[in-house]
Amino acid sequence: MKTIKELNEKKVPIIRIDNSLEKYKKMPIFQDKVDKANEMLRTVGLPKLATNK
Amino acid sequence: MKLPRYELLAEKSLMVYEFVSEGTKGQIPKLIKFSETALKDFYNLAFGDKNLITGDIDDNVVSNNGDSEQVLATVVAAVYAFTDKQKHVWVYATGSSKARTRLYRMGITKYIDEIKKDFLIFGQREGEWEKFKKEVDYTAFVVRRK
Repeated sequence: MKTIKELNEKKVPIIRIDNSLEKYKKMPIFQDKVDKANEMLRTVGLPKLATNK
Repeated sequence: MKLPRYELLAEKSLMVYEFVSEGTKGQIPKLIKFSETALKDFYNLAFGDKNLITGDIDDNVVSNNGDSEQVLATVVAAVYAFTDKQKHVWVYATGSSKARTRLYRMGITKYIDEIKKDFLIFGQREGEWEKFKKEVDYTAFVVRRK
């Protein structure tokens, strides 16, 4: 059996599912940041993978 | 990144997470959300404090709970969870202020060697993306699993 410390050291964490968080999926929280991200996508776009690798 | 981190709760699509910061000012519930953007497979990462009375989420508040490293390690853990099943997605993040973006940059810099094992990471400067370099003042960051 793994210890809490071992579990905590895994990069991909163990997640407990909480259905009460569902409501935040549709809620426009952090919308200003999403708008800024969309503006960045429009003006800057994505990094160029082929040349930046 | 073997830093202590908080236990994460999430809804089943793993787009919204909650954890509780425990520090000098007590327990502060925090919410992390990966929001869809106008571009498919490109998500905005944001997190903030959850007001227990109003239920509102505030990403401008400065909690000063003395556990910022543990909070950032928990957010990084959420990025691992979110990108684990869909490794092709981009995750974009910027701070709600210059100071906070700088704090994120310092956190990334500290663990950049570890991050680069699993992620491609870019910083945005003067309207361009470049491979993340230490000591450069970026306005935003984007990562994608390798």
